[in-house]
Amino acid sequence: MKRSTMLAGLLLSGSLALTACSGNATDAAKGNSAGPGGPAATGGTVQVLANAGFSHLDPVRGFDGGVNNFYRLIYRTLTTQGAAPGADGTKIVPDLATDTGKPSDGGKTWTFTLKDGVAFETGAPITSADVKFGVSRAWDPEIGIGSPYAKQIIAAPASYQGPYKTGELPSIETPDAKTVVFHLKKPYADFGSVVAQNTFVPVPKGSGAGTELDSKPIASGPYKVSAYKPGASLTLVRNDKWDVKTDSVRAAKPDGFQWTFGLDPATIDERMIAGQGTDANAIAGTIQAASVARIQTPQLKQRTLSGLGGCTTYMGLNTTKKPLDDVRVRQAINLAVNKQTVRDAVGGSTLADLATSIQPPTIVGRTDYNPYPSQDGKGDVEAARKLLTEAGHAGGFTFTLDTRAQPKMQAMAVAIQQALEPLKIAVKINIIDTSTYYEVIGTPSQQHDAAITGWCPDWPSGATFLPPLFDGRNITAKGNSNLAQLNDPGVNKKIDEIAAMKDVTAANTAYGELDQQIMKLAPMVPLLYEKVLMVVGSNIAGAYLHDGFSGGIDLVSVGLTDAGK
Amino acid sequence: MSTTPTLLEVEEVGAPTSGPPTSTQRILTRLVHDKAAVLCLAFLLIVVLMAAFAPLITKLSGWGPYEFDSSAVNSALGGVPHGSLGGISGEHWFGVEPQNGRDLFARIVYGARVSITIALSATVLTGILGVVLGMLAGFYRGWVDQLISRVMDFLMAFPALIFMIAILSSLPAGNRPVLLVLVISAFGWPYLARVIRGQTMTLANREFVEAARASGAKDLALVFREILPNLRSSIIVMSTLAVPGYIGTEAGLSFLGVGVTPPTASWGQMISSSVSWYSVDPMFFAIPGAFLFLTVLSLTVLGDKIRSVIDAGEAA
Amino acid sequence: MTRYVIGRLGGVVVILLAVCLFTYLIFFKLSPDPAVMICGKTCTPERIDSIRTVLGLNQPLLTQFWEFLQGIFAGRDYGTAHCSAPCLGYSFQTNESVWTMLTARLPVSITVAVGAAVLWLLAGVAGGLISAVKQGTWWDRSAMALALTGVSVPNYVLALVLQYVLVVKLQVLPFPSAPAFADNPGLWFESYLMPWTVLAIGYACLYARLTRANVIDTLAENFVRTARAKGLQRSLILRRHALRPALTPITTIFGMDFAGLLGGALITETVFGLNGIGKLAADSIAKNDQPVIMAVTLLAAFFVVIGNVVVDLVYTALDPRVRVTSA
Repeated sequence: MKRSTMLAGLLLSGSLALTACSGNATDAAKGNSAGPGGPAATGGTVQVLANAGFSHLDPVRGFDGGVNNFYRLIYRTLTTQGAAPGADGTKIVPDLATDTGKPSDGGKTWTFTLKDGVAFETGAPITSADVKFGVSRAWDPEIGIGSPYAKQIIAAPASYQGPYKTGELPSIETPDAKTVVFHLKKPYADFGSVVAQNTFVPVPKGSGAGTELDSKPIASGPYKVSAYKPGASLTLVRNDKWDVKTDSVRAAKPDGFQWTFGLDPATIDERMIAGQGTDANAIAGTIQAASVARIQTPQLKQRTLSGLGGCTTYMGLNTTKKPLDDVRVRQAINLAVNKQTVRDAVGGSTLADLATSIQPPTIVGRTDYNPYPSQDGKGDVEAARKLLTEAGHAGGFTFTLDTRAQPKMQAMAVAIQQALEPLKIAVKINIIDTSTYYEVIGTPSQQHDAAITGWCPDWPSGATFLPPLFDGRNITAKGNSNLAQLNDPGVNKKIDEIAAMKDVTAANTAYGELDQQIMKLAPMVPLLYEKVLMVVGSNIAGAYLHDGFSGGIDLVSVGLTDAGK
Repeated sequence: MSTTPTLLEVEEVGAPTSGPPTSTQRILTRLVHDKAAVLCLAFLLIVVLMAAFAPLITKLSGWGPYEFDSSAVNSALGGVPHGSLGGISGEHWFGVEPQNGRDLFARIVYGARVSITIALSATVLTGILGVVLGMLAGFYRGWVDQLISRVMDFLMAFPALIFMIAILSSLPAGNRPVLLVLVISAFGWPYLARVIRGQTMTLANREFVEAARASGAKDLALVFREILPNLRSSIIVMSTLAVPGYIGTEAGLSFLGVGVTPPTASWGQMISSSVSWYSVDPMFFAIPGAFLFLTVLSLTVLGDKIRSVIDAGEAA
Repeated sequence: MTRYVIGRLGGVVVILLAVCLFTYLIFFKLSPDPAVMICGKTCTPERIDSIRTVLGLNQPLLTQFWEFLQGIFAGRDYGTAHCSAPCLGYSFQTNESVWTMLTARLPVSITVAVGAAVLWLLAGVAGGLISAVKQGTWWDRSAMALALTGVSVPNYVLALVLQYVLVVKLQVLPFPSAPAFADNPGLWFESYLMPWTVLAIGYACLYARLTRANVIDTLAENFVRTARAKGLQRSLILRRHALRPALTPITTIFGMDFAGLLGGALITETVFGLNGIGKLAADSIAKNDQPVIMAVTLLAAFFVVIGNVVVDLVYTALDPRVRVTSA
């Protein structure tokens, strides 16, 4: 469950925001005639220009789009996503394991067999004990702050606190050096997808205590970390112990990668557009709104990649606050918001599509419908006014909109403020520091009337989208993602029904219907489906946008056209 | 502070201490005859009028500072304003802001309001604090002086810019302009106080003060009736030269994102937003930049002129 | 004299302690709970409590402050992380000891400060001197007009314009990347040229104005008039008699300005993407990384206070009048 972070919309100096998740890795791959998608040559170093650094190098701590993509370069998991554009990319395929798991005991027990010839960068072979050790670290209260799935699904004693504090975890068995057996709390049909999470990276038994892995990761993938200056730079070189014959996913053509952090986003755009020197071998993130007008030449268009990020940016409406507790008021707000101006605030039609439903188009089974239509998405003030009058608020009211202290977010808030003004709804913009933003909006006792935020699915299915946001039983006192605090029995029942379905296709379609059911209650205003728009260096090849990493360039496939440059 | 020259520099240069104070009338007469000073005064008058009559002016120009005009920008190209020169037209006299199409003229006018209000308030507050505390320290000496001087040393040791940003970014949005004035003044008064203190100490030993004391005047009367008038020229010079500094500081803080909150307009914040646009819409950068530059320049030139008039008066 | 120095140093310690305490207090109230920040997204109240106990956050404020002071001399343990002396704090967001972060970035700030200082002293003082000597001429008037302009432009505007013109449009310089001097002297020089220039311009204009005013005032003094009446050459008067009293106030100001810059030129470093103390300050404030903000503030204050002392001592050495009265 990840929140989408608005990609670098930072303007100079001071307003440096942390980009917590969402694929910031921009791949710029551009072959001369083949374009960025052309075949990559072996060798060379790919440069990556970034603003924010990596939150964690320890796979059990890190859990956001920025690191998820990166981890595939240095780590391997039992299974992993494919490496291709579109749906092929999000399919789960075996990685360290020989298959996607053998269920037994009605799906409560899962067995995986490790491939032969897999080893750490130290040369030590990867054994089942190492896999078990890596997974058990997720229970350590200090370390296991990343992906929550392992803890939620695998059975464990209530007092278990990880291998360093408690010791062995009995519910994960290792009958021999190549076999791992997981005992789950209840049957879970899709456990094969769960073991693709970062938690399932093997860690040599006994190592990785404290913050060790955050500064010196122990690689199992095609590359290893040779130098790391947090916030400044990161260098990857080949892991010669990685055997390409055991890996069907990673092309790993370049000899190394070089990250430069802390660069100003406007400067990154300038360098990518200029493409001089080693910048021709560089990839970066989505460009800023101001740069859109500058990439319209044929040469630049040729090395531009564009696609949906796979997330939804929305304004959550707190249903426990008056007068937002009246569904008509929420529907009126949905009708009145001028989504075109909100889109302009993030940079116009090339950087976002107008959102109509909760789920973005990249979710399988999603239906394309518009619950609160207006001309060109510009908002229907008259229809909104009628609803408001009906609800008894013809004179308007005030509400507080929590916003992140970042120019793009603030611009969106201002656009909403302007759009609601004709209805005499006074929007008070409450700017919250980026570092504490999620803490505030995730604490029901601290959140205000509305908040602008985003949501990215952990994998493109309604299962990781709708229940976290709208299941009334998911409301927690801290770290709450159900911002609307929606607790509708009908919705909750439907969620349980769909979770019990065995047929994945039917379940996805059902989620599409659930989307419509939820929007009738208007607990949020879907604003935008943000797009990824990246310029890559002229010497980049093998680059495409991966749906599983919020539209980031798949790092394990990217390389250089000419390794000599 | 790295955004503006500190008042340290100002005070060190020939602060007048001897002779009768130059009369305000004399200053004004001299200034009116100086072409450069007249130009500066004229420009400053325009800015002050803009600040004072902002709502009226924008009613005339047709667009408020917060209204969006989406038709004036090209949504398919990231939000660049239509037309050349950043969208200057009969509708929008200074063009529009990219992405939201807000009228730049209106925002400049309202931005003047923010800059002038904050800078003037800060100058007044700094003036009061600096003069009062400086005089107390210089007049009473002893532990009063020790206390106030230590506080001044303490405040001047602080890396003001870092601290201001840190405080402003941790406090809730609340009443930003007031906070800005308070924070700027808190770090600004020691510089004035130090000069005042030095001069008060010198003046307190003079004969005319002794005479006044001998004729039975109480301390407070001595301070305000005898010493203060002699400090007038220093106060005028330092205040005039402080205003551009504060305008620059407010603009700098807004540039760094901790100044006034959106959608309030501020020249510094406009410059900050315009930075990434200067290759496709340089006017968005040039116009607020020019206003900021000219305002600071006019105030500095004026300050210089006033000081040279006062110095000339002393030397006579 | 020694007593004076010791006294001043004592004052330095007192002020630094005061700055430290004050900063601690302010950020104690204003900062978000570091326990919550470490805890991450999947947080529970029990987890937060256990982190708070480990970090000693449940103790009274003054006890925490005392532990912090102790840590500076003896090193400290923060849960499983050890921070060796001098321990100015530990950043949980980057998992590093703050001292390590500072020392890594100090060379960049020092390079920026020294380079700019050399430039502005040369340009500013020389320019002001020449202007003063040629007072009233065309040279003087245009130089002062230029100086006035330089003083009125905000340095971030200058930085942006310069970067745009030199790097993007004319492509004369590369984007600053600040490698170590030993690795690539050419690139090193090119990277620092713009930050040096931008900083130097602002200060140079200021110093030119100051120097000119000071020199003119000194040249008008009685002792200079006497020297001239005695028939001494202009240049001799300047060098032997006028320069020292004219320039002594400049040294005071220079000391303070330079000390301030050592603490990091926040805006310049951020605009040019140089990893110095100033940029560290800006980044940490944005992330609300309280230990780092505290340490940067302390470091900057330290430089300013030491600078004050050095300046006072230098002034005493240079100006005999001060020496007589203080001895």
